[in-house]
Amino acid sequence: MAAIIEVKDLVKVFDGKIRAVDGITFDVQEGEIFGFLGPNGAGKSTTINMLVTLHRPTSGLAKVMGMDVVKEATKVRRVIGLVPQDLTVDDDLSGRENMILQADLYNVPKKDAVERINELLKLVKLEDAADRMVKTYSGGMRKRLELAEGLIHRPKILFLDEPTLGLDIQTRTIMWEHIRKLKQEHNMTVFMTTHYLEEADSLCDRIGIIDNGRIMALDTPATLKRSLGGDVIQMSIDDARDFTPQIQGVPGIVEVKKEGSEYRVKVIKGDTAMPAVLKAIIEAGGTVSSVSLQRPNMDQVFLEYTGRSLRDAEQAENSNRGERMARAMAAQRRR
Amino acid sequence: MMREMWALYVREMKHWYRIKIQIFMALIQPIVWLGLFGQSFNITGFFPPVPGFDPSTFLSGAPDYFSYMATGMLSVIALFTTMFAGMSLVWDRRFGFLTKLRVSPIARGIVPVSRMNSAVTRAIIQALIVLLIALGFAYIPGLIGLTLSPEFNLIDLLGMVLALVLLAVGFACLFISVALAVENQDTLFGLINLLNLPVMFASAALLPLAFMPDWLQAVAKVNPLTWAADACRTFAFHNANPIFPVWQEILFLGIFAAIMIGVSVFAARKLLK
Repeated sequence: MAAIIEVKDLVKVFDGKIRAVDGITFDVQEGEIFGFLGPNGAGKSTTINMLVTLHRPTSGLAKVMGMDVVKEATKVRRVIGLVPQDLTVDDDLSGRENMILQADLYNVPKKDAVERINELLKLVKLEDAADRMVKTYSGGMRKRLELAEGLIHRPKILFLDEPTLGLDIQTRTIMWEHIRKLKQEHNMTVFMTTHYLEEADSLCDRIGIIDNGRIMALDTPATLKRSLGGDVIQMSIDDARDFTPQIQGVPGIVEVKKEGSEYRVKVIKGDTAMPAVLKAIIEAGGTVSSVSLQRPNMDQVFLEYTGRSLRDAEQAENSNRGERMARAMAAQRRR
Repeated sequence: MMREMWALYVREMKHWYRIKIQIFMALIQPIVWLGLFGQSFNITGFFPPVPGFDPSTFLSGAPDYFSYMATGMLSVIALFTTMFAGMSLVWDRRFGFLTKLRVSPIARGIVPVSRMNSAVTRAIIQALIVLLIALGFAYIPGLIGLTLSPEFNLIDLLGMVLALVLLAVGFACLFISVALAVENQDTLFGLINLLNLPVMFASAALLPLAFMPDWLQAVAKVNPLTWAADACRTFAFHNANPIFPVWQEILFLGIFAAIMIGVSVFAARKLLK
């Protein structure tokens, strides 16, 4: 696998003072789903906007398929697809007309375009609504149309800026399915940003945790979670006896804590250790009245690497940095 | 390149004809102008006919003021229609469509040029509607209609269209360039208004140059609206005494159009990086 996106010491400063992206370096491998996880105002969208040639980096280097995003912008534009956070579909055209326009803008061969448009509309489940004006679409439908448009020219890399922001859970699940399918069927590289932990966790092959314009951690979700020290089995055993020795006899147990009838068992791999733990207790004559497996989630990972939970970060950032950046970016967009 | 240009042109035209109110406006606006303004300000009707005095000598060959004003109105309509080319760009910026264009691999110059093409198409359609309405007024009792030269022919009509196309190209590109440079829609609207009225009144579109003070005449003579309106009258009335010879006016309009296309493409390259 080769690096399809290379970023080195990338910096973006808005209005000469807001350091939206503060010197980040990373590579994205071909065929992987790479995610940026962070609160609003962390610099996720700014990074995407630089990679898709919308913003000029203040300093540093960004290459897409070996092409510089500033010097070879037009070439970069041909091989990437973008599903932006703020929608760009045309309300006063039908879904199909939007697709045709997109095919024309990317010079998709006319004979392929019709077939590809039908295929994509079907993929995003818009074939029945295709000839309706986009202004009659729901938010989720628009987002799906935007996704279909981003794929019309079979881009090598798809950029998704908060692909499921503001969507209901059902639509979100459909989007995830689409993204997974694209990766499997076309070996497409996906670069996405999100501030949903479960999204980053379930979709991405690798995650960069970004906060205040800096990458705090970068690895696979599993490794990031493992770095926190494994799973926890929580059990209640209504018995006066102490089962700690039996539990500790099971391989892979790290630590056992007992508080009354409650046991907290730290373990490397909870899913395989749990049956063995239960078996040991039952063989010793104990009765387990309840059991649950707690795995470290991305929220804990975020907490670990940034020193605050994602929700706290959101609330804090919304009031100042996030808002200032949104304003600065809106000003850039208007340019 | 032609394909992207055509696709964006078609999009603009769809926006226009799908919004019914715009078609209605396109028809009603010239009727209001011609009907109220043209009929009530029919200066030549204010005075009793003086024997031996021919009003057409100071009306660029038009037999009456209404005919004079109706031909000038064609250019004014072209001016007013093209200013919407700038407005649509501001809306596209606001609703994100411009982002789509900026991310796409199209040449930046396509953005202003496709928009200019659709604005010119609309301007010509509207101008032809005005021409038909003005001619139709002659058949309504109590109204004055547009009286063309008895020798008016197809070549003259094509000449008028050419002058109007060049005028519309120039102004469409001017307004698009302003819209590219100005981010705020209120500022843009203010600028357009600031530009439109002086351009209209400091020209021979609605009033003969002879009625103006010297300084205003000097301004009007370098106003593209004057060139287009005067060229239209030369074609419409076979006017023997135009402000400039008609070939010169077409040449000036051509230069104006070419410069403005250049400015808009340059602006797009600089500002839509």
